[in-house]
Amino acid sequence: MLGTNWLAKARMAKLGRGLAVCGLLAVAACGGATGEDSGPVRVSVWAWYPEFKGVVEAFNASHSDIQVDWTNVGTGPDQYAKLKTAFTAGKGAPDVAMVEFQQIPTFVILDGLADMGPYGANEDKDLYAEWAWSQATDGEKVYAIPVDGGPMALMYRKDLFDQHGIPVPTTWAEYADAAARIKAVDPDAYIASFGSDGGWLNGLMWQAGCRPYGYSQAKAKDEVKINLTAPECKKVVDLYGDLVDKGLMAQDKFFTADATAALDSGKYWTWAAAGWTPGYVAGSLKNTAGKWAVAPMPQWTAGADEQGDWGGSTFTVTKQAKNPQAATTVARELFGRSKAAWDIGLNKAFLYPLVKDVAADPAFTGKAYEFFNGQKVNEIFVPVSQKLGEFQYTPFQDFVFKDLNDRTAEAMSGGREWSTVLEETQKNVVAYAEKQGFKVSR
Amino acid sequence: MTIGGAGNRTTVKTRLPHVLMAAGILYFLVPLLWVVIAATKSQPDLLDSPALWFAEFNLVENIEQLFREDDGVYGQWLLNTALYSGLSALGATALAAAAGYGLARFSFVGKRLFETALLGMIMVPATALVLPTYLILSELEIVDTMWAVILPSLLSPFGAYLVRVYVAESVPVELIDAARIDRAGELRIFWQIAVPMMRPAIVTVFLFTLVATWNNYFLPLVMLSDADLYPLTVGLTTWFNTAQQEAGTRMLFNLVVTGSLLAIVPLVVAFVLLQRFWRSGAAAGALK
Amino acid sequence: MTRSIPITAPAADSPPPPHRPVESRSRRRSRRVTAHPVAGALFVLPFFLVVVAFLIVPLGYAFWLSLSSKSLALGTRFTGIDNYVRAFTDPVLLDGLLRVVLFGLVQIPIMLGIALAGALTLDAVTTKFALAFRLIAFMPYAVPAVVGALMWGFLYSRTFGPFADLPTFVGGDPIDFFSSSLLLLSLGNIVTWAWTGYNMIILYSALQGVPREMYEAAVIDGATPVQIALRVKVPAIKQAISLAAIFTVIGTMQFFTEPAIMARFAPQISAGYTPNLYAYNQAFAYSDFHYSAALSFALGFLVFVVAYAFVFINRRRGARS
Repeated sequence: MLGTNWLAKARMAKLGRGLAVCGLLAVAACGGATGEDSGPVRVSVWAWYPEFKGVVEAFNASHSDIQVDWTNVGTGPDQYAKLKTAFTAGKGAPDVAMVEFQQIPTFVILDGLADMGPYGANEDKDLYAEWAWSQATDGEKVYAIPVDGGPMALMYRKDLFDQHGIPVPTTWAEYADAAARIKAVDPDAYIASFGSDGGWLNGLMWQAGCRPYGYSQAKAKDEVKINLTAPECKKVVDLYGDLVDKGLMAQDKFFTADATAALDSGKYWTWAAAGWTPGYVAGSLKNTAGKWAVAPMPQWTAGADEQGDWGGSTFTVTKQAKNPQAATTVARELFGRSKAAWDIGLNKAFLYPLVKDVAADPAFTGKAYEFFNGQKVNEIFVPVSQKLGEFQYTPFQDFVFKDLNDRTAEAMSGGREWSTVLEETQKNVVAYAEKQGFKVSR
Repeated sequence: MTIGGAGNRTTVKTRLPHVLMAAGILYFLVPLLWVVIAATKSQPDLLDSPALWFAEFNLVENIEQLFREDDGVYGQWLLNTALYSGLSALGATALAAAAGYGLARFSFVGKRLFETALLGMIMVPATALVLPTYLILSELEIVDTMWAVILPSLLSPFGAYLVRVYVAESVPVELIDAARIDRAGELRIFWQIAVPMMRPAIVTVFLFTLVATWNNYFLPLVMLSDADLYPLTVGLTTWFNTAQQEAGTRMLFNLVVTGSLLAIVPLVVAFVLLQRFWRSGAAAGALK
Repeated sequence: MTRSIPITAPAADSPPPPHRPVESRSRRRSRRVTAHPVAGALFVLPFFLVVVAFLIVPLGYAFWLSLSSKSLALGTRFTGIDNYVRAFTDPVLLDGLLRVVLFGLVQIPIMLGIALAGALTLDAVTTKFALAFRLIAFMPYAVPAVVGALMWGFLYSRTFGPFADLPTFVGGDPIDFFSSSLLLLSLGNIVTWAWTGYNMIILYSALQGVPREMYEAAVIDGATPVQIALRVKVPAIKQAISLAAIFTVIGTMQFFTEPAIMARFAPQISAGYTPNLYAYNQAFAYSDFHYSAALSFALGFLVFVVAYAFVFINRRRGARS
């Protein structure tokens, strides 16, 4: 095992080297690729997982021929912005980059991601949940190795629902009823918040059977399907819009301090959350710990079993990787079958594993959460992940989510009818796609 | 430039201006006070306790945690910020001082054109430059190094403009001509005669460029991807994003607040202490 | 005040009595012949090189980029001024421009008004309290815009901040500073907080340079301090005021950091909330560097035109009076 301080030392050494060399030599000689010394292949990785340092250490300790240099260049959009500039510039990208599922087609069309198929990545097909593998690949081309996901379920304040005798909703109609009853017993409370989060709304639409996007570069690079106005999609926005309009649903943006505080103060009674949520909330909701429970998502049709996913990420190998074979190994094995990595991933970083064996492990499914008063919540999340079907994204998902966010923001502030949100987004997205040279179908 | 001391001004003591100034002090100070108070709180207290009053005193722990988090990367950010802004400000000031002096006291081909362009240069939005600069520096393989932040920061048209205006006003031509008659070299004249007389303008340009680089966010955000090279502004926003993203696994809001406080203090102190120097320089710029 | 500067003021302007006697321009010219023409150019050369490397070349490159388009499906091709046609017919950009202009029309006069009032007060009142006011008002300038925006984000929030709940003490609803109706005001407040003190100090410094002789007569005639301030001092520092206004206009047109940071609190801040934010998103979220370059270039050009128009109008007015 390496000492815990090695990373810090490596950083200092790197900086020191940079300063010395850059100070002495001509400016143009600075930066860029590190020297080609013999010894293990060094693979650079960009990722923002919590507690990732231990995962990197575990990888480096178990590999003598490949060593990982990890950098956290920022969360989500911050890192993507850097990746996009690096792809545009033709240099500066890492060998391996963490990328969320909905971004994979975007980076594929930017010609940034390498196909890991030739390097043996197809062998991993059966290791991962089917829906995740299909999003990470395009036919035989493997653009990403899944890591974690976010199967959705309903987190709710069991104590409050019990106390007021309100049944936990099993359908969305019941959910709307519960919203009204909650308002009636506590005027300051809401059933939940409409969190202005693209991935969250997407997960809800996914769960409603809405499949608004379709894209396969392998089939046709310039053909894309966009159908946001299908009834399955509209019913989600209609329901939530109605709750917002009636004042039964709050409007705090998720993950802000306000939203977190509201979850912890009894202001919100539910949260349609994801498999990573238990870890997320356990540390920050101190007052209400032990009072929450998890139930399956309310269904659009009573007795149905439709599910959705919110979030999740993968490792990709960029086309700028100096050694794609080694990079592929890193992408496959940083988590992959690594017990040590998943030990950190499950217990410290609270990732929801997309490796089927890990998710099925009794150590995971049988884990009782104090935050949920001893409930074994993974018994709910794991079947959801197994049930998830195929869902595709556009190669310009940032634009779609941003436009959807802007339109729902207009609706929340009263500047737009909720019923026109998806129509307007559909219109804007189609116009954008056509401008980008796509043939758009519904 | 000498400025009439406050003593020879009419001293007016009326209640209204003081009431208004008190309101102003409150307005400008309360947010800063909030940072000071909030920096003394633990993350749970930050969420729970009254915003403008102290809870359990946690400042020492916050600072300790601040310098420990991510292997003490905050200390690195502080150092980087000081290094980038120090070098940029020194370089930009030197360039601006020489150029301003050259423009004010010499004539050469293209001078008028250059002077006219100077005001235009001030108006170019920085964001318009960052992206093409990134692509160019990336060709030269110096993105993601400190030079990618420092070199573009050497550009200070406003500094050159200010020095030029100041020299025209405060460095007499006679003095320079007298030195020339004594066969002093141009560089020596600049260094020994002009620079001492330009000091207020130089201090002003130095401080303004220092603040500009210290506070710069966009340029380092685009140029740097190695967290060990970040300045405070980029580092703190990264932490803030992480705090929002991973509230459960890491306690970072208190660190963002404490880190902000420590990022502000050096500049506030520098400005208050150096006020007397730079204010007269600013006056020269303002008068024009 | 001194009119020996060809950049800002033509010699035709009638200067108020200068602070210190300055020789006429023609006399300087004749004396300067002794200087080395090459030496002068050498002093400017290093600066000029930096201008070329980090201003002219990037601008040229941006312009060149803006003349072609890259669509995701079709790749890159030369499109001439298409990007500019698109920009000036792009409702998102036009909305953003309109928003920034509205913002500036309200925020700039308020901020400069407060700054001017503060500067005049400081010029007339010389108590210790005034000194404290001067120092404190300036402090926000030293706060990085990023930190300032994060700070106000906390202060505006119901959880961290002291302000949102104020109305509840008198039975009202808490204020949502991030709601679309208040958002622009909330942003305006951040900018006002950060920059008022800076402008105040600039104007105050200018006031300090106003020679006392200019209003001694008024004092003897028994004019009140307010009368002196409005009739003598303000006209005397008109140049400084308009310069401060120009720089504020330039800054407002480039509005970016505050809305970019506040977007993390306020979903109402759309992708094209300000033109600069739009240019940023085009490049870094939608990967359209060509259109982004065109947006930046068009915006820079607009800023340039507005600022020069401002200088021009100001000069005309100055010449008339």
